[in-house]
Amino acid sequence: MGGGIAAASLTTGVAQARIRPNEMVPLIGPGYRAQDVDEKGMWQQMERVEEEISGSNLLIKDPALTRYLGDLIGRVGGPAARDMRIYLARIPEFNAVMFPTGFTVIFSGLLLRMRNEAQLAGVIAHESAHFLRKHQLRQWRDLKRKTDIFSILAMGAGVAGGAAGVYAGDLVRLAEFGTILSLLRYNRVLEAEADAMGVRLLAEAGYDPTEMSRTWAQLIGELDLSAKYRRKRRDRDFSIFSTHPNPEARMADLKISAAEAKQAGRSYDAFRDRYLSATANVRPTLLDDQVKLNDPGASQYVVNTLAKDGWNGMLRFHEGEIWRLRNLKGDELRAGQGYAAAVLYADAPADAWRWHGIMLMKAGRSAEAKLALARYLRMAPTAPDAAFVRQMVAG
Amino acid sequence: MRKAGLAVTVAASLVLAGCVSTRQYADVEFAPPQGDYKLLVMRPDVSVGSMTTGGLVEPRADWTESARAKLLAALRAQQAGRGGNVMVLDRRDSLAGVSADSIAELERLHSAVGGSIALHKYSGATLPTKRRKGLDYTLGEDAVALGRRTGYDYALFLHAEDSFASTGRVALQVLGVAGCFVGFCAPNIGLGQQVAYASLVDLRTGEVVWFNLLRSQLGDIRTDEGAGQMVERLLGRMKPGREVRRRERAAS
Repeated sequence: MGGGIAAASLTTGVAQARIRPNEMVPLIGPGYRAQDVDEKGMWQQMERVEEEISGSNLLIKDPALTRYLGDLIGRVGGPAARDMRIYLARIPEFNAVMFPTGFTVIFSGLLLRMRNEAQLAGVIAHESAHFLRKHQLRQWRDLKRKTDIFSILAMGAGVAGGAAGVYAGDLVRLAEFGTILSLLRYNRVLEAEADAMGVRLLAEAGYDPTEMSRTWAQLIGELDLSAKYRRKRRDRDFSIFSTHPNPEARMADLKISAAEAKQAGRSYDAFRDRYLSATANVRPTLLDDQVKLNDPGASQYVVNTLAKDGWNGMLRFHEGEIWRLRNLKGDELRAGQGYAAAVLYADAPADAWRWHGIMLMKAGRSAEAKLALARYLRMAPTAPDAAFVRQMVAG
Repeated sequence: MRKAGLAVTVAASLVLAGCVSTRQYADVEFAPPQGDYKLLVMRPDVSVGSMTTGGLVEPRADWTESARAKLLAALRAQQAGRGGNVMVLDRRDSLAGVSADSIAELERLHSAVGGSIALHKYSGATLPTKRRKGLDYTLGEDAVALGRRTGYDYALFLHAEDSFASTGRVALQVLGVAGCFVGFCAPNIGLGQQVAYASLVDLRTGEVVWFNLLRSQLGDIRTDEGAGQMVERLLGRMKPGREVRRRERAAS
């Protein structure tokens, strides 16, 4: 049986040739509609799904931000850019998903983690490539073909075994295992295609394609720190059961692809300022959602990564929130330091003054605490706890 | 002797494969609507596909559209025979004065509630606190508000799925049956089947008052006859709730 599994692994293949950006050509053009019977059925289902998603109260419906994201997919969407739609879901995770009819859902956790417009555009370009290369349809056809073959072979093996008086169950189970491995491998190939085409779309739109591999470096760092704080080790081993290539391999491939996609003499930009101004309104909400996951390693990594572009009151405040929520020994002191640092910045939110005041009160510095709480009341006079805070200041 | 025994088993299996099963639940005080009542049919959720050789169901857009149209026609005919006044929503904005969003929210709420009923009443995960209470599910005040605003007495939610075996799947079934004669028997790999449910909500109280679930391997809902059969099986024999039946028995 061990030999059989090894043979199955060899058959499905662990290593695969890298997919190059210039090999990735779109399979659809502007105004594309479903062609074949199976594609039409898939599109009909997806139209219903989009109707549900577009009306969901999970979406962030900030008109300026929606327009900004629509512009982004217009720039990196390739020949079908005008056909694509983009929705922003308030889910604090690093993820995005493209549907076969050309609409994509971006999770708000992405807007928090991407440091510039090129990185966000890279994710959108990757998702656009799924649509341009018809990945969902190709994956469905691959699944259909392989399950068909497996069924015929399994039934044939059973009948032949029955006629010969031999039990064929082990052989059938081994074939099933091989089919599953083959399906997962095909999935990884499609993801690699989307990475390669994403790099190309990014470069053609004038974005620095190197930012795509930096995105993965950031994700790996976050996952490592998150695991470290939970006293676990992130699984680094490549698995033949993964649906996606492993992050380190993706990062390395994207770096090479970025170098290939760049043209000599052309300038590439990350457009950080435009990105920061477009996302400024939602940034406090995004940070709050992330911190409230109570994953201190990941949240600290995100805050520290954003701080590479300069500390501000918002980041310091949320640094304090990370430790207050974790609430282990020594965390209260760390939280207090975070709030104290936050209020030194002009952009400190009202809550920073509130928590700063509370921490000072706990430390016995009541005069300073009252000043901080008074500042909080001036910034947020109608806060839910304003009455209680007024009592603390008066007492 | 061994082969004869297998043949009997195969015959029994093939007969069983053609079963039609429905099971309905009614709230304890439910009386089937009669005479002059107003029924709002929410946009039906219909999906028809082809079953591949490997057993996957591939959705077919043309079959789905055909089945939806046939089911609605059959429903209108059935309700006309019943005397009800029926409005069928083609789109979420089909009701004058009611926003698409409020219809959408009610549909989403019902898909969760209907899923719960299917799970807890039909799939064995019985809830002890709901035992012997008929149906104890509600869509809440939003349903009452809809009824008050539009004047409809009931809302009907329909869900229907059907699938048909591809030629590959049929061939595999034939091979499975043939194998019985050489000692390897696989006659029940499954061809296409229908699954459907209907749910009636009283818009005066917001409560789900009646629910029926149908499973069948017979019929083709893409045809007039098949759609009519499904509607008849789902809605044709509504039973009153337990308390109503008890009072009727006491009166007789």
